[in-house]
Amino acid sequence: MRNISHHPKTETLAEYAAGRVDEARSVVVSTHLALCAECRLAVADFEALGGACLEEVEPVSMKEGAMASFWERAGEQDVFAREQATAPIAANDFDFAAAQPLQAYLSSPIDQIKWRPVAPGVSQHVLNAEGYRQGVLRLLKIAPGTQLPKHTHKADELTLILRGAYRDEIGEFRPGDLADLDDEAEHTPTAFGDEDCICLIATSAPLVFKDLMGRIVQPFVGL
Amino acid sequence: MSGLLVRVAATADRAAFADLYDYFAPRVKGYLMRAGAPADLADDLAQETMLKVWRKAQLFDPQKAGASTWIFTIARNLRIDAARRAAKPTLDPDDPSLMPEAEPQADLTIERADRDKRIKEAFDTLPQAQHEVVKLHFIEDAPHSEIAERLGLPLGTVKSRLRLAFTKIRKELGDLDA
Repeated sequence: MRNISHHPKTETLAEYAAGRVDEARSVVVSTHLALCAECRLAVADFEALGGACLEEVEPVSMKEGAMASFWERAGEQDVFAREQATAPIAANDFDFAAAQPLQAYLSSPIDQIKWRPVAPGVSQHVLNAEGYRQGVLRLLKIAPGTQLPKHTHKADELTLILRGAYRDEIGEFRPGDLADLDDEAEHTPTAFGDEDCICLIATSAPLVFKDLMGRIVQPFVGL
Repeated sequence: MSGLLVRVAATADRAAFADLYDYFAPRVKGYLMRAGAPADLADDLAQETMLKVWRKAQLFDPQKAGASTWIFTIARNLRIDAARRAAKPTLDPDDPSLMPEAEPQADLTIERADRDKRIKEAFDTLPQAQHEVVKLHFIEDAPHSEIAERLGLPLGTVKSRLRLAFTKIRKELGDLDA
């Protein structure tokens, strides 16, 4: 794996660790984490910070008899024994059951995805990740040489490059790189190289495109 | 607390677990309520969290993480799952949240216990104003704008306090350039 040069902002990783991000952003971040040991370390640090915060929470008494009903649910010794017998090799619980990486969201391999053209050289595939808070997750495929219209975002956008490459005002983005743009960022990505650039994008609001005259246009209606 | 968890892991020590339960269950419940769960649901999810702790205790390695970190991640994941179940009442067998849990990355757990301890120390020595917003960030679910309003601060101040705190804590671990 090549070195990744663009990472999520520290704040984004801290939001992820706190469980604050919507499902769409969570998929993008966790897919990046699968590729990036540096960011995994940062998330683990923020989880430890979460643990420190947990210890400071004002305790709220459990319902009466909670301990007894706990042991009832836990069952007798055999529950413990059974779990031990089937326990995975895992050494800890630093998983993200709520944020499985991309694979879990694809109904078919990435090469067999049905793409919907949205503009010359650009097509998209919307994934269903709207279960938790407001967020839209989709794949965007940009043919080499194609420039997306300049656009801003009404809210934050996370873009993870899966294949190919693009360059914009910030720099060059290649597989594993993540562009973490806030609501004020404006950019004009252009795909380059030999293959289509495929990106995984989470937005919490529709993209706002500006045409050459600076007027607002919305060619990607129906996201 | 990690010591108790080790005893639970080694011998399924119920007395040790009861101590752990007494300490953590009410804090997990408090966390879930601060994060917006009604009391009944928070109680259920706190039970579920502790059930996971009991069942998975033998997977816990005190060299690799602090007990509170581990329990925080379990409670956080259950909270997110519950919110998603509420949003998607009909469960789809292909739902990603029903996928088996991934194994942790090996490199993630190296020397965690020591790091966790240093993070807690760094957290404890943050200026009060930063300490406060970090705690609200992790424990509450309210957007930062709402937290800012409640504290009577501009949103930018809340965001910059968080940024300062996060950077400072990670810098103390020697990951970021000074």
